[in-house]
Amino acid sequence: MTDTKNHSDGDRSGSLEGRRFLPASPSELVEAIELAFDYRGDVTIELTSGERLEGYVFNRNTGGPAPAVELFPTVDPGVRHILYSDIRSIAFTGEDTATGRSWEAWVAKKDSERRAEIERIAADAKARGHL
Amino acid sequence: MAVPVSQMLTVTKYVLMQRLKGVARYPLVLMLEPLFRCNLACAGCGKIQYPDHVLDKRLTPEQCWAAAEECGAPIVSIPGGEPLIHPEIAKIVEGLVAQQRYVYLCTNAILLERKLDEYKPSKFLTFSIHMDGLRDEHDLAVCRDGVYDVAVKAIKAALKRGHRVTTNTTLFDDANPERVRKFFDEMMALGVEGMMISPGYSYQKAPDQQHFLKRARTRELFTRILSKPKAGWQFNQSPLFLDFLMGRREYHCTPWGNPTYNVFGWQKPCYLLQEGYAKTFRELMETTAWDEYGSTKNEKCADCMVHCGYEASAVQDTFGTVSGFSRTVKLTLLPTSR
Repeated sequence: MTDTKNHSDGDRSGSLEGRRFLPASPSELVEAIELAFDYRGDVTIELTSGERLEGYVFNRNTGGPAPAVELFPTVDPGVRHILYSDIRSIAFTGEDTATGRSWEAWVAKKDSERRAEIERIAADAKARGHL
Repeated sequence: MAVPVSQMLTVTKYVLMQRLKGVARYPLVLMLEPLFRCNLACAGCGKIQYPDHVLDKRLTPEQCWAAAEECGAPIVSIPGGEPLIHPEIAKIVEGLVAQQRYVYLCTNAILLERKLDEYKPSKFLTFSIHMDGLRDEHDLAVCRDGVYDVAVKAIKAALKRGHRVTTNTTLFDDANPERVRKFFDEMMALGVEGMMISPGYSYQKAPDQQHFLKRARTRELFTRILSKPKAGWQFNQSPLFLDFLMGRREYHCTPWGNPTYNVFGWQKPCYLLQEGYAKTFRELMETTAWDEYGSTKNEKCADCMVHCGYEASAVQDTFGTVSGFSRTVKLTLLPTSR
């Protein structure tokens, strides 16, 4: 149900999609994690061990002696807990599902664009058996 | 009367018990989101803006039942996403009804008629149909033509089978009061038990003065909609919340009144803001910095007058003040006296 309306300016150029952060200090790391937590798309986290994890950052626990990020991996049903201290870099690799999808952006589209999008969404819902 | 007496008594007993026990913060309505996937894609809807693998995640029936037990709220509202997409939603509902909780299954009704056989009519179950206005307004809001007509057909089918049916409507500042009043007439003519209305949530960074003006605009809109109500209109919500929307009562937000549980966990601090997640309800209550939220305390809350924050405040007013109690009694018995 629509009980919120995303009022971002609809400008995709403001999105973090495609950017990579290589924090040089603890405060930069905290800032990058906050951006990943607010991001409505998947990110790729590179660990100090060299391992790369792709998924959706849905939580972070900043308190306590071992601050950690919680991530839903794209390829695995579980949850990964990643210590802040194990993170080397964060790349915003997944599609940003929020930016450019505001009500205003929708209204500003051409009628033909809106119709095409409606049809694509309906076809997708039909294919999943949801219509 | 829009809300059955048994439901009123259950909520009254629950609130009085909490007060007797000295519990300062207690939940009234659990907002249970079993999935975020939807079969509509309303522009700007923040609930569906996730990657596909997240939209494919679902709570299990056991997780849903445990959340309701853990939280203890007498009412469970099931939004989403679209709950009827969840393959086990009927089982989830059945389990919550078995716990004797009053369940509001919120749906856009696209799949409702097809799935009605899976539900037994019960005083504990209400289909809360998302209707954002008359045909033109609703279809525009949900970004698909024909949805209003499908929903109306489903409402009639559900009522025919003896189900409790309400509508829930989100209104933004561009709503036309006369059209909204006409919409109320239409819904009541269909035979729904009652209607729920709320302003929508939107957040934009703005100076204090602009927030003040926005709240004033919301109050003006609801005053124009709700003044001189027609005799047939029934609202399935606290009459004091409607007073609040009209600017006749001033409330602080009660975010713990409608806690949210979904595939991420217990959402801090409320249904609308995502500041983090707790593993348990107890952790949510103990670790959320409640004092940092509310229209006067937090930029993100500045414009908010949404039911999930203020309906519980209105209920507290009913049971906490003589003026609140007497006004509730008056508006319940004489709804047109507003």
